[in-house]
Amino acid sequence: MAVLPEASPVKIPVARGLRALGEPLLDVSGLSKRFPTGKQALDSVCLQVHPGDLAVVLGANGSGKSTLLRCCVRLIDPTAGSVRVSGHDLAHLDGAALREARMAVAMIFQQANLVRRCSALANVVMGTLGRHSDMGSKLGLLPREEYEHAMACLGRVGLPHVAEQRADTLSGGQAQRVAIARGLSQRPRVLLADEPVASLDPEAAQDVMALLRLLAEEERLGIVCVLHQPALALRFGHRILGLRDGRVVFDRSAEDVTGDHIAQLYRADVEAA
Amino acid sequence: MQAGLALPYPSANWRQSLVRGLLSVGTLLLFGQALAITQARPQELITGVGGMADIFRRAVPPDGSVVQTSIGAAVETFDIALVGTAVAVLLSLPLAVLAARNASPSPALYQVARGVIAVTRAVPDLIWALFFVTAVGLGPFPGVLAQSVHSIGMLGRLFAETIEDMDMGPVEALTVTGASRSQIVTHAILPGILPSLIGIALYRLDENVRSSLVLGFVGAGGIGFLILTYMNLFQYRKVATLLVMTYVLVVVVERVSAAIRRRVQ
Repeated sequence: MAVLPEASPVKIPVARGLRALGEPLLDVSGLSKRFPTGKQALDSVCLQVHPGDLAVVLGANGSGKSTLLRCCVRLIDPTAGSVRVSGHDLAHLDGAALREARMAVAMIFQQANLVRRCSALANVVMGTLGRHSDMGSKLGLLPREEYEHAMACLGRVGLPHVAEQRADTLSGGQAQRVAIARGLSQRPRVLLADEPVASLDPEAAQDVMALLRLLAEEERLGIVCVLHQPALALRFGHRILGLRDGRVVFDRSAEDVTGDHIAQLYRADVEAA
Repeated sequence: MQAGLALPYPSANWRQSLVRGLLSVGTLLLFGQALAITQARPQELITGVGGMADIFRRAVPPDGSVVQTSIGAAVETFDIALVGTAVAVLLSLPLAVLAARNASPSPALYQVARGVIAVTRAVPDLIWALFFVTAVGLGPFPGVLAQSVHSIGMLGRLFAETIEDMDMGPVEALTVTGASRSQIVTHAILPGILPSLIGIALYRLDENVRSSLVLGFVGAGGIGFLILTYMNLFQYRKVATLLVMTYVLVVVVERVSAAIRRRVQ
């Protein structure tokens, strides 16, 4: 099985090296979220991701996995805690400062969420909009000077040949990789992936996971990936975080995770105190 | 299917029967008063047959001599609708973004936008035309203004609903890339609703061509104004020609807009 379609050797310039080695790229601490309904979705979650790290978050439905990622990029406002990336605390920013800080964090969703009527390349260029504030980009024009960079990103995910294709003609796996390229075009340091393979067939799922691992290792990105399949998590993750009822119940390297650890996440609440 | 197994079913009780009876009587009263108030007297329609036949006789054959002189007016009728619709599309788009719950930047702006839409929509374009004819004088321009204002409301509401129904995935995706609000509108929302947007706008053009005819009656130019003039001069044969021209105009616009709408996916 082809794990990765010939990924071209193009290297993308990724912002890095601002802080001393050993500093985490993403430093989440004490992150909590209580919904207006009273449900405590996240309870003091701490999580650090270093360059080259692919951390996989596992947990049952409702354990707070998606809420964790959505709080990190402020699609949901956390109730307490901090999300530090490149010296900015995303949890406490607003307006233009938040938009600027968001650029360092790319996010991939379960659906590729491409703009269907635009070409794959146009979708990738859209990832760079954050750094352009000219009138043209506000009126719907794409920044010309970013096309080359966007092509490099498409090359990085192995899909330079679909550049001109309309997004709604791509297969599920291709669309998800184009979405990853859009994330890369942001020139991020951290990449968050919220169940990126949940709607893909097994082969495409493996391709996408292998690509994420490759990006962590070669681009030195810090990646947090929420998954539903423990098998994929153990195969591709460097580290596994177990989330249960909004709390991190374990955070260990993939080799040290046993079946008991996994089972504990999905066990029904019989002995809940 | 077992024989003899009677399942209990709820039988209508006296309370339900009473409600049904009252509803029937109420409905009859409602329509009764409507017929009385509108002075509906079918016999007048029958006695009026002679008069109608007379008008019809005086209208045939249509007088073709007006075709040449009224072509300009027909074009004017279409142009009023075209400009009126185009202006309305341009103005209603930003309004619709403000009036869509999922795209509006603030609850206050949302309420204001909804208010503007409600007012411009609720007042018929005929009334707007009367208003603008008084304000800027006779001619096609007040017609354009009237259609623009009324269409802003009609289009704004439909566009806002389209935005509220759209897939928010691309909007979220662009939000987290750090794109600004206006960039998200032009790059994710507009392409997302473009097919519906074109369909709705063409349908509006269609409606506006028909209504711009009526606007002519109150002095807002076009072929409607000519129809009214010849009607007042009892020149029914000329009116007949103008009606045929109107019919052709309306049907052509309708067909073309339907054909375009089918092609836009």
